[in-house]
Amino acid sequence: MKSALTEACTLKLEKFEGPFDLLFYLIEKNQIDLYDIPILEITDQYMDYLNAMQELDLEIASEFLVMAATLLHIKSRMLLPSREPVAEDEVDPREELILKLVEYKKYKEFSQVLREREQKWERVHYKLPEPLPQIETEYELDVSPAILRSVFADVMKRYREKMNDVSMKMKRILNQEKVSLKSKIREILDLLGRGLRICFSKIYNTREKSRLEVATGFLAMLQVVKVGRAEVEQPTAFGEIFVTPVASAHGSENVRFDEGE
Amino acid sequence: MESIHDVEVIIEAVLFASGDPVSLEKLAEIIGHDKKTTKSLMTNLMYKYQNASRGIMIREIDNAYQLCTKPELDEYIIKLGSVRKKQGLTPAAYETLSIIAYNQPVTRAAIEQIRGVSCESVLMKLVERNLVREAGRDDSPGKPKLYETTEEFLRVFGFSSIKDLPALELNEVQEVMENMPID
Repeated sequence: MKSALTEACTLKLEKFEGPFDLLFYLIEKNQIDLYDIPILEITDQYMDYLNAMQELDLEIASEFLVMAATLLHIKSRMLLPSREPVAEDEVDPREELILKLVEYKKYKEFSQVLREREQKWERVHYKLPEPLPQIETEYELDVSPAILRSVFADVMKRYREKMNDVSMKMKRILNQEKVSLKSKIREILDLLGRGLRICFSKIYNTREKSRLEVATGFLAMLQVVKVGRAEVEQPTAFGEIFVTPVASAHGSENVRFDEGE
Repeated sequence: MESIHDVEVIIEAVLFASGDPVSLEKLAEIIGHDKKTTKSLMTNLMYKYQNASRGIMIREIDNAYQLCTKPELDEYIIKLGSVRKKQGLTPAAYETLSIIAYNQPVTRAAIEQIRGVSCESVLMKLVERNLVREAGRDDSPGKPKLYETTEEFLRVFGFSSIKDLPALELNEVQEVMENMPID
């Protein structure tokens, strides 16, 4: 049972903003006087619309159902003969609905006005503000050497405090580093144990290792020399350092090293 | 004391340099006249711009003034190539905006009462677009939020102030109801 209305609704399903909007559509379509709505017809058409939505498996918002109930309620009140004669001050059951519809209509019409005004005024263009020059006030300097001295002292004090603070933090970071002197000593002893002559820059250089590792490696090397397990040679200043194992200590690994960091 | 012409020249230069709207107070301060005089000067100047064969005009937005191009020249300005069109509002947004404009400050419940539909997401969008803002809370139970329109609303829809909105004759409803035959 596809009525003409059902088809119309199918096309316009998306259009309605709410039950009032739908009622308006029906009222305008039927060219009805808003103030004298034939409630029977309108209710039937409204219900047709909801049925059509249901047929299309569309979810009907609860507001539409509330309106349907209101319409049916009004319809039933108008159909039922009242036992008592119509009282003078009896209110038309449609009154509340009509009041709401009339009010809604005003805003709906105004929203059309807004749309038109927007279309006009969006065609207007503005200029961005100029970056205006900031007014600068010149201050005369009135500083004595004594003031300068105390300001300088202040700055230095703050600087020292800050540096102390940073170095404290650095220490904490260093403590957390995984590079330990012990592990470096072990590394060096390992290499020396194979009876090799070590070229310091070959095993520890900043290109391959972190600075911390190189420095720790250097300390480890000194430690190894200190306990007599190796000898160090540096033919030229700032040149290559060669580490040679000391033969007598070869094989005895049990020497204890201080864990100085 | 400068002539009217001199003052108008100053105003023009100030508005051009500002770009943004300049408040009536600020203009009065700059030209050294009281607000009432400045206001009539501005009304006069706006009229002059509107009718002169010039590409720009002055807009009044919430007691501030701003230079802008005339709307009918849009088709030429678009050819500059840097003009970006904003996305339009939904019918629901226009309806909600209409209701807020005439009833501000207004609660969401009051808007929904008139529209017969929930307005939460529409309101959020309007706030996002800076057309509507929160305006404190109502004194009724639950202290619901109140909403009002913004300066941006005036700008977008070309009103100089909220008083500039066309009158809605809601009284008409009362009259109609009184004359309605009871059948």
